[in-house]
Amino acid sequence: MLSEFDEDQRLWRSTVRDVLAKECTPALVRGAADAAADTGGPGGQRGCENDLYSHPRRHMPLEALWQTYTNLGWTQLVDPSEMVELAILVEELGRATDPTPFLATMTQFVPLAPGVAGAKQSGAALPEGITARRDGDGWLLDGTARHVLDGDRADWLAVVTTEGVFAIPAAQASVTRVPVFDPVLHVAEVALADVRVGGDNLTGADPEKARHQALTGMATTMVGACQRVLDLVIEHVRTRQQFGAPIGSFQAVKHKAADMHVAIERARALAYFAALTIAADDPRRRLAASMAKASAGECQSLVFRHGLQLFGGMGYTWENDLQFALKRAKAGEVLLGTADEHRALIAKENLTLAGVDSRAAHV
Amino acid sequence: MQLTFDDDVEAFRAEFVAFLDANLPSAEEADRPSRSSADVPEWARRWQRLQFDAGWLLPGNPPEFGGRNASILQQYVHLEELSKRRILRSFNPQGVGIIAASLLSFGTPEQKRRWAVPILRAEITAALGMSEPGAGSDLAGLRTRATLDGDHFVVNGQKVWTSGAHDADVILTFVRTDPDASKHKGISVLLIPTDTPGVTRRPFGSIASPDDLDFNEVFFDNARVPAENLVGKLGGGWAVAHGSLGHERTLLWLIFAERLADLLVDFRPVTTLDEDRYATLVMDAHALRWMGSAALAREARGEQDVPALSVLKLFGSEAAQAATEAAFESAGAEALDHPALTGPLSHLSLEAYVSGWFERYARTFSGTIAGGTSEIQRTVIAERVLGLPRG
Repeated sequence: MLSEFDEDQRLWRSTVRDVLAKECTPALVRGAADAAADTGGPGGQRGCENDLYSHPRRHMPLEALWQTYTNLGWTQLVDPSEMVELAILVEELGRATDPTPFLATMTQFVPLAPGVAGAKQSGAALPEGITARRDGDGWLLDGTARHVLDGDRADWLAVVTTEGVFAIPAAQASVTRVPVFDPVLHVAEVALADVRVGGDNLTGADPEKARHQALTGMATTMVGACQRVLDLVIEHVRTRQQFGAPIGSFQAVKHKAADMHVAIERARALAYFAALTIAADDPRRRLAASMAKASAGECQSLVFRHGLQLFGGMGYTWENDLQFALKRAKAGEVLLGTADEHRALIAKENLTLAGVDSRAAHV
Repeated sequence: MQLTFDDDVEAFRAEFVAFLDANLPSAEEADRPSRSSADVPEWARRWQRLQFDAGWLLPGNPPEFGGRNASILQQYVHLEELSKRRILRSFNPQGVGIIAASLLSFGTPEQKRRWAVPILRAEITAALGMSEPGAGSDLAGLRTRATLDGDHFVVNGQKVWTSGAHDADVILTFVRTDPDASKHKGISVLLIPTDTPGVTRRPFGSIASPDDLDFNEVFFDNARVPAENLVGKLGGGWAVAHGSLGHERTLLWLIFAERLADLLVDFRPVTTLDEDRYATLVMDAHALRWMGSAALAREARGEQDVPALSVLKLFGSEAAQAATEAAFESAGAEALDHPALTGPLSHLSLEAYVSGWFERYARTFSGTIAGGTSEIQRTVIAERVLGLPRG
């Protein structure tokens, strides 16, 4: 039980960091946000659907960024045994406020539909809202899935039903991007109207295990976003002078910063623990995935509050990049179950796993 | 990253478990409990000596000092197995963990023979004299004075919080030997036998009970201490202090991991809100072990990241405190009962587990106050981990 990255993993992290520092710049993220604000995001017109700026195939900077990721082979990290490496990547993407559909594709769609999408294609997951009913030798998929991450710019959809998991081309769905508070995030309502599927569409994936991967991916990206908030806050309080001293020299500020660091370390520990239980197919992965998501949720709550507070008025402006990391972290909290919901699962799962002696469930 | 230990560590664990199974004192043998952190009943002395002689007391030490040159990961699983059984290896923990360890690092060969080995073999017990009424978090402000007079130091002043002093044979005492040197440079360390004329020990009760006598005030009134009892260099006390507090610092967080592990068993959630708090405990217990294992891995590579240990101490102590309060509340009116059994009864465990939920909760504040308060830890993290400027 050793939580430290080995040499390969450290090298991988620094490679990813270097790429993102060059390619996924704050300016690019801001460009994506401003484009969304101009067309359909907060402050813009509502109900944009497959508009010029929201589709990566047509939005040049995002298209190029996606190409970079796929050319580097990042979309080939599809085997669950590589979950730690994927988590390292996804944490850095969270830190950079990645504007592409990478997270949805790799941690939500692929686990539900392995081998379906091409290396340059994107996917989204519909874990609930759709029913399947028998129709001859096939099924009819019907219903509406709400708040689907990247549902509006996916090539493929993975649909979870009681009859099994189906993969269908996104063109068979009616998709509407929903305006949300995070201008970089794509969230959509996806409606299927008696879409006919056959046995070929069944993926055979275990939706429960896929859920663990999705939770771990979301948790890890939230940790990255929280780290970005702390990085920006530290930079700010070291340079911002009041009363003749950097405000970071005041204990009231220091102690908040220390609490942010501890919360991030805790959430990061549980995120990678979850990633490792998935990679090792350890029976604790259900517990671990919920712990990762719950702790990431608790972390973002504290990091958002302290982060925005410590930035003072400057963090309250559209001009400041703090908003992108704050919004990414906060949006993650309400996707895939909140911290409260996961804590309820954790208590039940641990009491079940542990029986009388909880130590058996220990690392 | 790995979820399991390598074979050599697991083999080491199995060997220790076999030793425990064969040698643990029985309930009949353990005929009276320990009353303080330097009160070691005869049966507990035998138990500690058995571990010393078999190389299981401090496995990281060489055999002549109660060990077997174990690696840091082996030391970790050793403590983990003790914790699983709620067993103390010594009922004079500061003697073994801090004082003897300091002597092994800073003492002369004669001091190791005369003091360290007897402490480790439970022939004598020891207490740590650091804090003073005016020197707590600001330890370097200590004022107990030692003046060289021929081949003796003459000591005057007062210590406080000196755990177990009234039952201890010797106190490792931090004194000011040079009042003119800068604050940190004028400090030295003396081994002061408690039967030295001029040494007065006055135990006082804790928040738990007037009969819970572990803390002491210790007064020195012209106490004459042989100069050969100087540990480390004259004026080199600050280095010893750092070493003392640093001993097993890499594993210090484990005490909080153990408390969290105990609470996972002892805390029985009743209401939905209890379950919510229990879930936080589950997360904290896992997170602390997993975060701590990074410190172990660094230590195993021979690296030290001292500020990172502040994160573990702060997080672990506060998590244990919050979880104990939650367990207290979930007990409802039963939490009033004192004394009360709040965990499985073990004759080899801490008194705390038969002392009621209030006492267990109150004792968690020793975690957030002693060994650097939570406030000090936050400042250390801000300055030394995050790089914020000193105030």
